[in-house]
Amino acid sequence: MRLARPLENLINQLLKLPTIGPKTAQRLALYILKLPESEARQIAQAIIDAREKVAPCSSCGCLTDVDPCAICEDEEREGHILCVAEETSDVIAIERTGFRGRYYVLNKNFHLMDGFNLDDLHLQPLLDQLSSGKIQEMVLALNPDIDGEVLSRYLADLAKPHQVRVTRLAHGLPVGGDIEFADEITLRRALEGRNDV
Amino acid sequence: MKVIDYRATNFRNLLCVEHQPSPAMNIIVGDNAQGKTNLLEALCVLATGSSFRTNSDRVLVNDQAEAYELSSSYEYDQRCFETNIKYNARTGKVITLNGRKTNPHHPDRLRVVVFTPDDLYLVKGSPSRRRFFLDFLLKQAGAEYGYHLDNYVKILRKRNVLLKKNQANTKTFKLTTEVFVEQAVRLVVARIQMVNLLDQLVGPLYQDISGENLGGLKLRYAISFPLDSGKINFENLRISMLNHLDTIKEQECARKSSLSGPHREDINIYLNNHPARQFASQGQQRSIAVSLKLAELMAIQQAKGEFPVFLLDEVLSELDKERQQRLLEYLQKASFQSFLTTVNLEKNQFADSQASIYRMSGGKLSGKE
Repeated sequence: MRLARPLENLINQLLKLPTIGPKTAQRLALYILKLPESEARQIAQAIIDAREKVAPCSSCGCLTDVDPCAICEDEEREGHILCVAEETSDVIAIERTGFRGRYYVLNKNFHLMDGFNLDDLHLQPLLDQLSSGKIQEMVLALNPDIDGEVLSRYLADLAKPHQVRVTRLAHGLPVGGDIEFADEITLRRALEGRNDV
Repeated sequence: MKVIDYRATNFRNLLCVEHQPSPAMNIIVGDNAQGKTNLLEALCVLATGSSFRTNSDRVLVNDQAEAYELSSSYEYDQRCFETNIKYNARTGKVITLNGRKTNPHHPDRLRVVVFTPDDLYLVKGSPSRRRFFLDFLLKQAGAEYGYHLDNYVKILRKRNVLLKKNQANTKTFKLTTEVFVEQAVRLVVARIQMVNLLDQLVGPLYQDISGENLGGLKLRYAISFPLDSGKINFENLRISMLNHLDTIKEQECARKSSLSGPHREDINIYLNNHPARQFASQGQQRSIAVSLKLAELMAIQQAKGEFPVFLLDEVLSELDKERQQRLLEYLQKASFQSFLTTVNLEKNQFADSQASIYRMSGGKLSGKE
């Protein structure tokens, strides 16, 4: 049986989303068709609204509906410490820790496999901030993998002429974790980065 | 580490085999196609979770059955373990250790070193074969190596993508190369140490087995870049490799792939100061391959404190009487447990032996002769 064209179209559109496979797409599409029309319209409208109103902040890159964003506008934040993250989702996670510095979001998942050139990253606002002289420390909150390693070096190189201290997040044991269940590599990193009590 | 007993059910032609092997040497004699190798294969699957002959578990199941089951109890570091593997085409493979589900990488699993006739290619085959041998051994000796190797493979692929996209003059490529070199040198340092250890071990082993008393057997790790200064350490290797990559940059751009690094290195095997690949005879090559495997056994013992179990499939063919005798004597005197298959065995080779000899016929193992 051939599906109705609009339904097939909806399934194909949903398939473009990450983590959605053909079966999930079909299930979601059929679910949307069963919803009351008003709810389905709400979903559609929410997508349109979010797309129209949310954009990266012109100074830090966080996704926001007001420019500059709430974090950039916040006068009480410490201006001398800047945290670089790959995505706004990372910022949300770091915000939960009570970190009170400022952010810079790259908004680009950097994968060397795609042959991505680092010089194509939009970094002018970051360079402006670095050269303003207000920033004393740049914290790199990047994923601890090979791509994160290359990116860290690139950003550290950028910061060099501005005499900014560049740090990165520590590797090690999760809080509340059990030492006996940690893998050797993580445990070794934790040993290397041990602190005075 | 010694196998105390094992049982195989519906594993290839072994419908129901139960065996309490000797803690020293076990010889399995039988005609062709009787199930000798299957028995070694069963032990290998018990230890590693996979076979040395095939990647498909389906073919390991007897044609008349739907599932195979292997179980064994063994002694490791004065503790007794029981392991069991069940495979069913529909439900997959379940491995247990002392009654609990586990994966093949559990540190207390049975360990084996396998010699198969294909291991002749360790000597005369392509470098990738020897790299695989070395990587496999290093991964067994410590988890860190496997992690670094995975990272190396990743960064190598990424660097090659950049080369293919003609990005060799970007800063991205420069930084990728820096990380690439650091990962590469970590592997090279570990490999050099391991080859040096194997080199020390393999010389006397080869002499024992072959009875040759000439220049002996030497192993050298062949690095894919020239070394700027004599001392081998992380920093020297790193700088040398960076310099070398600089000089071959044009070639790399033209060929669009990374031309230097652990993925292009090799172990050179020298017999009496000649490359064994071109100079050693068939019998010598086989002796070298056995010595390498024995050295692997010793290296694992040094890292883990216990000898693995040694499985030798058809090792005696192509060896002359004297070498056969020497190898058999060596294995009998050794302090590790071994299993050896062979087609025929002359009784006088074992006039006063302590080896246990079994006969395999039609998938059935009959007791000591």
